Amino acid sequence: MFRFHRVESIKPWTIIATRVISVVAALALGALLFAAAGYDVPRLAGDVMRGSFDNMFALEDLGLLVSPLILTGLAAAVTLRIGLWNIGGEGQFYAGAIAATVIGLEIHADPALMLVVLGAGGFLGGALWILIPALARAYLAVDEIITTLLLNFVAILFVNYLSTGPLRDPGQAVTSATARIPYDIPTLVGDLHWGLGVAVALAIVIALILAYSRWGYEVRLAGANRFAAHYAGIPVPRRLLQTMLLSGGIAGLAGMLEVTGTVHRLQGGISNNFGYLGVMVAVLAGGQPIGVLPAAVLMGIILNGGIVLQSYGVSIYQVLALTGLILLFIAVGEQLAYYRIPHMAQRPTR
Amino acid sequence: MSAAPARNVVELIGITKTFPGLVANDAINLELRAGEVHALLGENGAGKSTLMNILTGIYQPDAGEIILNGAKVRFTSPMQAIAAGIGMVHQHFKLIKAFTVAENIHLGWNETPRRVNAGELERRTTALAERFGLEVRPGARIEDLSAGEQQRVEILRVLSRGARVLILDEPTAVLTPTEATALARAVREFTASGYAVIFISHKLDEVLEIADRITVLRAGRKVATLPAVECTHARLATLMVGREIILPHSREEDAVHRPGSVVLQLSGVSTFNDQGVPALNEIDLDVRAGEIVGIAGVAGNGQRELTEVLTGIRLPTAGEVRVRGKSMNGASPAEFLQAGIGHVPEDRLRSGLAPSMAVADNAVLREYRKPPIARGPLFIPSAVRKLARRIVDDARVIVPNMRAPVRNLSGGNQQRLVARREMRVAETALVAAYPTRGLDVGAIDSMLRYLIEIRDRGVAVLLVSEELEELLSIADRVAVMFQGRIMGTFAARHAEAEQIGLLMGGHAGAMPTEVAA
Repeated sequence: MFRFHRVESIKPWTIIATRVISVVAALALGALLFAAAGYDVPRLAGDVMRGSFDNMFALEDLGLLVSPLILTGLAAAVTLRIGLWNIGGEGQFYAGAIAATVIGLEIHADPALMLVVLGAGGFLGGALWILIPALARAYLAVDEIITTLLLNFVAILFVNYLSTGPLRDPGQAVTSATARIPYDIPTLVGDLHWGLGVAVALAIVIALILAYSRWGYEVRLAGANRFAAHYAGIPVPRRLLQTMLLSGGIAGLAGMLEVTGTVHRLQGGISNNFGYLGVMVAVLAGGQPIGVLPAAVLMGIILNGGIVLQSYGVSIYQVLALTGLILLFIAVGEQLAYYRIPHMAQRPTR
Repeated sequence: MSAAPARNVVELIGITKTFPGLVANDAINLELRAGEVHALLGENGAGKSTLMNILTGIYQPDAGEIILNGAKVRFTSPMQAIAAGIGMVHQHFKLIKAFTVAENIHLGWNETPRRVNAGELERRTTALAERFGLEVRPGARIEDLSAGEQQRVEILRVLSRGARVLILDEPTAVLTPTEATALARAVREFTASGYAVIFISHKLDEVLEIADRITVLRAGRKVATLPAVECTHARLATLMVGREIILPHSREEDAVHRPGSVVLQLSGVSTFNDQGVPALNEIDLDVRAGEIVGIAGVAGNGQRELTEVLTGIRLPTAGEVRVRGKSMNGASPAEFLQAGIGHVPEDRLRSGLAPSMAVADNAVLREYRKPPIARGPLFIPSAVRKLARRIVDDARVIVPNMRAPVRNLSGGNQQRLVARREMRVAETALVAAYPTRGLDVGAIDSMLRYLIEIRDRGVAVLLVSEELEELLSIADRVAVMFQGRIMGTFAARHAEAEQIGLLMGGHAGAMPTEVAA
C-alpha cells in the first residue's frame, strides 16, 4: 500500500517544475479528448504552433493578444500578493476603455500629450470601477470576489448601451460601435503597437516595487499574514484599498491600450474575456509579476490556437474548457507537490 | 506503590523511527507495568510524541516491536490500537464544542445504539461516569465547560472504549492547580484498579509527584528509566538536558534593586475578545521602569487581550492606557512601537510572524521603517540581510538559509527570533506573552536571563506566563488574572504559590493582598 508523506516545504524549482508538468498534463488530456472526438491532433497542434510562430504576421497577432493578457494578469497578480482576488478585471478593462474612448472622442489636442491623458484616463476609469468593492473590502470586510465579479456585468451592459446609443457612430454600417478614436498608440512592428512594451515595462516596475520598496514589503507582509502586518504597525485596510485600486487601474490601462492601439473604437465584446483570462494568467504565474510574462505568452498561444482551431469547427468554448483544465491541473499539482511516496528501499532516511 | 514488580502490560522493544534528516526514535525500549503511572519526560523534540504515536498506531515504526500482554502486535491504524485497549488523551482536546458531553462520548463508537435520543445518551453517559468515577455533566455543551471538565470528558471517552492503557499528553498544561490536583487523584484511582497510565510531561515537579517510574528521553534516545523515589529535581533536569541547569534566581543576587517611575499604566481598562465577549474588566495595573511584573493565571482569562491593549492591537472600550504618562487611547500598533514598546505575542505564527515569508523579512518586521533598511521609500534587501543576520546570531537561532520561509524553523527557534527582535525595539517596555512556551529547559534559562538583562537596563517588563515557578523566580511583582480581572498583586518574594494558585482558580476566599512595590 502506498502511504503518502506530506512535507512542510518545497523548493522554488519544484514549484516551477510542478507548474510546467501540470500544464503539459492538462494539454495532454485535452489532446486525448480532441483525439477521441475524431480530430487529427498532431496536425491540429502543428497548425496551432504555426498560427503563433510561423511568420511575422502570426507573431504580431500573438503579441496583440499577449499585451492585454500581461496587464490583466498583472492586475490579478498584485491583488494576489496581498491575499485578495480581483475577478473584476473584465469590468475594469471595459471601464478603462470607456474612459479612454469618451476622452479621445471629446477632446482634441496634441496627440502625444493626448496619449498620456488617455492612459491616465484609462487607469483612473479602471480604478474607479473597483473603488466600491475596494472600500467595502478594506473597511467593511465585504468579500471582494463577489463584488468585483458582479460589476463585470454592469460594465459589459454599459458598453453595449454606449456603443449602440449615445456614442454610436451613425456613419458606420456596424450598429454597435463608436466612431474611430483619433489617437493611435505608435506601432512597434506591423500591427503590433507599443502596448506590449508598456505591459512588459509595467510588469518589471511592479516586480521592483514589491521587492525594493517599503510599500511593497508592507503589501507582501499583509498578504502573507494580515494579523502580523497589523502587529507590525502597517495600516492594513489602507494597503488593501491601494492595492485594489492599483489592480483596477492596470486592468483599465489594458482597456485603454486595446481601444487606442488595436480596435481603435469602443464596441461590445472587445475584451475577449481578457479580464477573466488574466486571473488564470496570474494563477499560472503564482502571483509573481515577472511570472505573468511567460504565463501570458502561454495563454496567448492557446487563444491564438483557438482562432486556428475554430477553422476546424472546434468551438471557442472547447478552447476555453482547455484553459479551465489547465487551471484545475495547476491547483491539483500545487497540492500534490507537497506529498512524497516514501520508497521502501530508502527506509533509513524516511 | 510499585514495590512488587507487576506484570508488563506493554513492552516496546527497539522502537526506531526516522523522518527525513531526523532520527525521532532510536532503538527505544520501554516497559509499562499494570497499575503504574509511568512518566515520559523529555524536552520538545526528544521523541515523546513520536513514540506515543507509534504505540497508538498513528505511525508505523521502521524497526522494533510492540508486545501487548505478552503477544506481539502490529497496529496499522489508530482504530486497531483503540480496539486493543490503548487510548490517548491528546493535549489539544478532540471534542466537538457545539455538542453535549453525552453526544461527544457516543460519537464514532460502535456501541452507540442505532436509534438514539438525548435522554438515552445522557443516561448511558451518567452510568459510564459512575463506573469510572469521573464526574461529568452529560447534558452540558462542551463549549460551556472548563478545561478540566473537558479533559474528564476526553478521559471518559477513552475509558468507555475499553482502554486498559491510558496515555495522557501534557494533561496539566491547561489546568488550574486545583484541577491538576483532582486529575492526579483520578489517575491514582485508575492505577489502583489495575490500569496503566503513561504520563507525558516536561514539568519536573508534577512528574516527581505523580509517577511511579520515570523514563527520560533525549534527542530520540532513552536516557534512563528510574523509580520516582530515586529522582530529584536536579537529577531529572540534568538527564533531560544533558547538562546542569540553574534557574536564574534574580532576587537573591539583586536584593537592592529599585524600580523607577511608572512607565505602563492601565486605569479602568475594559475590552472585548474576538467573539465580542467582555475579556478585560476594569483593569488597573502599573509597571515601572526596571521591574518585571508577572501575570499569572490560566490561559484564556484575559491575558491575550491585556497584552493586546498594551501594544495597540486591540482598542480598550473603556479606561485609559498611558505610556510614560502620555495617553495612548486610540493609538495604532505603529504608535506603540514608536513609544518603544516591544511585544512578544502569544501565538507567534498567527500574529508575530508571516510564516511563508523569508527569515530575513520576518526578522526586520519592526525596523524596516528606519535606515539602513529604509532609504526614503526604498527597502534595501542587503541591509535587511545584514540586520537579520545580527538578530539571528544574537538569538542563537539556527538558520540554514535566510531566504528560507520562517515556518521551516522549529518552534523554539521561531520563539527566540521573535523575542530577540522585540527586545531590540523595547526601549521603554517589553510585553511578553508566554515567551518560554515551547522552549526546552536550556533555552528557557537563556530567555529568562534576557528578560532580567533588559530589566536591569531600566526597561519595564510585563511577563505573562503559566509557569508559576518561572514568575516567582524572576518577577518583582506578580498579578493574578481570573476572568478578565486582576485578583490580586503580590511582591514576588512574599508570594506563596498556593495562594496564587487559589486565586488563579477564582477562589476569592484567598484574600488578595495588595503590596506596594
